[in-house]
Amino acid sequence: MAPSRGSQALARTLHKTLSNHRGPVHVVRYAKGTAKYVLSGGQDRSIRLWNPDLGTEIKKFEAHGYEVLSISVSHDNTKFASSGGDRSVFVWDVTAGVTTRRLAGHMGKVNVVELNADATVLASGSYDSTVRLWDLRAPARAPIQVLEEARDAVQTLHVDATTIIAGSVDGHVRTYDLRKGELRSDFIGQPVTSAIPSSDGTTLLVSTLDSHVRLFDTTSGKLLNAFTGHNHTSYRCRACFGHEEATVVCGDEDGAVWAWDLVDATVLQPNPPPKVHDKVITWTEHHPIDPGEMVTSSADGTVKVWRHPS
Amino acid sequence: MSTARLKRKLGDLGIDTSSRKANENFCLIGTPLPPLEKSKDTGEFVPLWKQEVRDEKGRRRLHGAFTGGFSAGYFNTVGSKEGWTPSTFISSRSDRATNKNRPSRPEDFMDEEDLTGMRDDQKLVDEHEQMDLLGSTQDEISKRGVGTDDKDAITLALEQSLLPAPKDSVGARILKKMGWRIGQGVGPRITWRQREIAFGRNPDVPSDDIDEEAKKHLYAPRDTPLIIVERKDNFHGLGYDPGLGLHASLGVAPEASKQSSGPRLAGGFGLGALNDADDDDLDVYDHSQIHGRNHHAYDANDVHNEEHVLMSARSQGARDLGKTAQPQRPSTGKLVFRDGKPPLNGFIISEKPVAEDLCFPIPDVPKDWTPNPKRVWEMEKANSKDKENASIPPPSQTQSHAQWKKGISANQRGAALGETPLPSAPRSIFEYISKKDQERIKNIAASRFAPTSTSDDPSPGPSLPMPPTITHTEPHVAQAALHGFQPFTTDPTKQARYTAYLRAHANPGSGVIPPAQKPEQSAEEFAKEINDYAKSAALFRPVSGAMAGRFTSAAVLDLGPKIIEGLHTPAAQPEEGADNMDVAEEKPKEEVKEEAPKVHAARLGMYGVMTREVCTWQPARLLCKRFGVKEPDLDVPVDTSGPSAPETAAPEFTGAAPADEFAGASAGVTQVEGRGSGSSKRDVANIGMGEDDGQGDDVLTYERPGMDIFKAIFASDDEESDEEKDRIDDVDEVDEPPAVSAPAGPSKPGPDVKPPPSNGIVEDVDLATFKPTFIPRGSKPKDTEKKEKKKKKQKSSKGGILVSFDVEEDGGDSSLTAARQKHRDRDSERPRKKKRKDREGGGGEDMWVEKPAPDIVKALPVNLSLDSEDSQVSGQGSGPPRVRKRAIDFM
Repeated sequence: MAPSRGSQALARTLHKTLSNHRGPVHVVRYAKGTAKYVLSGGQDRSIRLWNPDLGTEIKKFEAHGYEVLSISVSHDNTKFASSGGDRSVFVWDVTAGVTTRRLAGHMGKVNVVELNADATVLASGSYDSTVRLWDLRAPARAPIQVLEEARDAVQTLHVDATTIIAGSVDGHVRTYDLRKGELRSDFIGQPVTSAIPSSDGTTLLVSTLDSHVRLFDTTSGKLLNAFTGHNHTSYRCRACFGHEEATVVCGDEDGAVWAWDLVDATVLQPNPPPKVHDKVITWTEHHPIDPGEMVTSSADGTVKVWRHPS
Repeated sequence: MSTARLKRKLGDLGIDTSSRKANENFCLIGTPLPPLEKSKDTGEFVPLWKQEVRDEKGRRRLHGAFTGGFSAGYFNTVGSKEGWTPSTFISSRSDRATNKNRPSRPEDFMDEEDLTGMRDDQKLVDEHEQMDLLGSTQDEISKRGVGTDDKDAITLALEQSLLPAPKDSVGARILKKMGWRIGQGVGPRITWRQREIAFGRNPDVPSDDIDEEAKKHLYAPRDTPLIIVERKDNFHGLGYDPGLGLHASLGVAPEASKQSSGPRLAGGFGLGALNDADDDDLDVYDHSQIHGRNHHAYDANDVHNEEHVLMSARSQGARDLGKTAQPQRPSTGKLVFRDGKPPLNGFIISEKPVAEDLCFPIPDVPKDWTPNPKRVWEMEKANSKDKENASIPPPSQTQSHAQWKKGISANQRGAALGETPLPSAPRSIFEYISKKDQERIKNIAASRFAPTSTSDDPSPGPSLPMPPTITHTEPHVAQAALHGFQPFTTDPTKQARYTAYLRAHANPGSGVIPPAQKPEQSAEEFAKEINDYAKSAALFRPVSGAMAGRFTSAAVLDLGPKIIEGLHTPAAQPEEGADNMDVAEEKPKEEVKEEAPKVHAARLGMYGVMTREVCTWQPARLLCKRFGVKEPDLDVPVDTSGPSAPETAAPEFTGAAPADEFAGASAGVTQVEGRGSGSSKRDVANIGMGEDDGQGDDVLTYERPGMDIFKAIFASDDEESDEEKDRIDDVDEVDEPPAVSAPAGPSKPGPDVKPPPSNGIVEDVDLATFKPTFIPRGSKPKDTEKKEKKKKKQKSSKGGILVSFDVEEDGGDSSLTAARQKHRDRDSERPRKKKRKDREGGGGEDMWVEKPAPDIVKALPVNLSLDSEDSQVSGQGSGPPRVRKRAIDFM
């Protein structure tokens, strides 16, 4: 956020296209650590592990009976959690390629799943408007707690050391603060599709279905910035921070990847951005370390890896 | 002494005492040796200690102490020495035959003794006489012999000689012993007179051949003929004789006529061909003829006179001779129907003719008569009116379903029939209340439920139909009903009449005319209509008072589609539409009003205080524990929807959250431990705890340490020799102070602000010696630390022993000192774990996960940091060597 850093140009050169999925790809996530691998899940009920550098598919995880809607990788990359239309949450062992835990209890499809920092608790948000917190350490399969404050489907979750942030279609972003024992619900007014806090936890990036990406101050709930220009009205798109949180990146429903400067909220060049996917971009994720890499997944069935031209 | 004298004496007698003969010994002293060859003498004396109890097969079976001896359980009850052998499953597929032939019989579970016992029992049954209970006495056999006409005498004789003589039943034998003879009846002896009567003769009729002497004796009673019920094994109807030939069916069968000519005579001497058959000569035991007829053991027609001991009347003739004056009937032979058919056996033809049906002449219909059903209906109506007056809802009138279902009660029916009511028990509690109280209660009820008491009372309407306006609605009820639900909206005219009615009743003095009787309406219909109005006025008035606020009337009444007759007139529509519009408009307004501040602020982009709602939220205790966060102290306990945590009372974890430790390089958040705030609170529960609220929590929430702790302590580490450096590390790390040390003891409160946990490691790690370390996934640092704490507690309690442990662990390292022992690193187990992992090879891979690189490593250039997934995914086959290689990669 330091303006002195300036905003680097977004990696816009297509490096690889990962196109083994049949049907829309709903989610693509980087692995943790150095993030050399990418996991993607799609409508074809499979989760695929890719090497984005080489563009090769390494492994295919198949157990879901319906589409895969969300993936969350654990801190040590040994396991990941996934959820989907089959109303269950699976925890996978990466090497064995089998599910180690199947958590059932949601009444609707599970839109989002998130592991906490040391993968002891799994949070899952569902169409049934609940967030369930599962204990991954104890053998018990019942949720630790069910957060039922949301009035509509929970679309996005973020779990960090002390808070759980849930964004719902009812237009609220609810921040459950474990340490304070406090629930802060911020009314955005529009269905929330993604809510990502910055790494220092002071700001929150929320994308809503009114073609807005907003940056909020977490402590006061005040709007810091609004990023507009893209088209985001009906699908779940994800806005994320660019490298070192200097930019905001969001793929829109027209298949274009938009980038804004975080501070002055101007659209980075090119404006308007070119259409790079045939259909809606369902997930945008910037590489956690590498400043010049980014992945996008789209309903056109492809995952694209973007890099700076080398 | 005596022997010396004996010797002397013998010597005197001249017998050589030394000779063999003289020395012959005849007495035995002591027990004789057993004979060399075993004697078969079972009666041989055996010393007690040698006695053995053996069964007939020579097996030892001592059943001492109520047959529960040493071998009872084996020899007697179960099949093997070991006990019951469960029957093994035998597939019926392989050998079906054996399985089929092996149903479990009781004999399978018997031993020899049981079997012999059973056999003995069977023999006992066999030796019993075979009792033929179904009349195979000699008497009957002989009778059977009579019946078998086709067999000639020689055959019968042969049969009787060859076949074993049938035995009499036990009863027959007993009777015989008591003096009964075959052919006599059973019972006390009777006089001659009784006997005569029994045989159907008139004793008073003097006959010349009556022996005077005979009257002096007692006679055996008449035999009761046995009812032989023939088995019916054909499908003919009852009484049908299949053998009836053509002639027999015509009633002129030669055999029948022959038989009916006279009673059958007993075969015997002294009856010539010309002799008339006397009654005495009748064959008493002739059953062949009786078969066809019915014979009752106790004839219903018997007159139980004192003299008539007669048990059965065999023939019609005999009965006719009875004392009672029975009408003389023609004998059975003559009784035939008009068509010549004989009646069925056992039936007689009635002498009385069947009464003819009375036939009435058809009434004369007047010539000018025309059918007029209306008149009938009117009559019926008049009847029903009468009934109505008797407070019965007439069935002809329209009844509600409930009424119809209920039907007429017994009381109503009785009243209708004009019965005097039965004195019945008082029904209600009012019967027991004094008149005054009843009055009072009625008044109270009337004032409270005024409409109910006036118009819901069913009595006024139907019972008093004549003045139709008798139904009365209270003004206030009518007033309320005017504003309430309008039940007759589908019928505009009715609705108009209804409102008129209500208006009239709402302000009685205002001169509003109540709806009058319509010209086409009958008085009853009008009364009913008015009654309906009164009822609906009582029913559909809005709820008054406090209850009214609790209900809102539904916006849309479910009245179904409103059908408008005739062509579509657009004039009717706007009303409806306007109504709906109103409804539609009202709703959003309300919502807007409700959400206004928030939504409005959101719409204007004024996010902040307006859009934020903060409330307390109680995270589950286990959740806090998993997140490594102290459970928040909420003043107002909020119900947690989650299940109660299986681990009760999260232990006071005072270290920094491990989450931060693993959160990577971004961990700029130092977590303030909220422990100090807890101690500020003072209440009774805290007294005596000193500064530390959590005092003793560790004891209360003691958890059995995980298996890996025990393994870490007790598992042998023989393979440590592969890397001596590891050993040194081992010793060092054991002795190093814990980086994230818990407070030294439970009594000491933890430091308020924790240094970042990774600091200790950062200090230790230099890149030259850095190696990836592993921690068990099952026990995350939080756990290990906790366990470490416990271990330390144990150690502090018994320090001496622990020193020896450590000496053992470290292979007798003599350099160990007590001072060093205090310094322990929480990583102390890890090298060992890692080695164990190396030992286990790939199999243990899933048990141990790579510990993320310490912060210093993460701060390094990217290519230096670990990528575990790389090793995990691409190198599935060989886990451990790759890990080693990875470590080398860092150099």
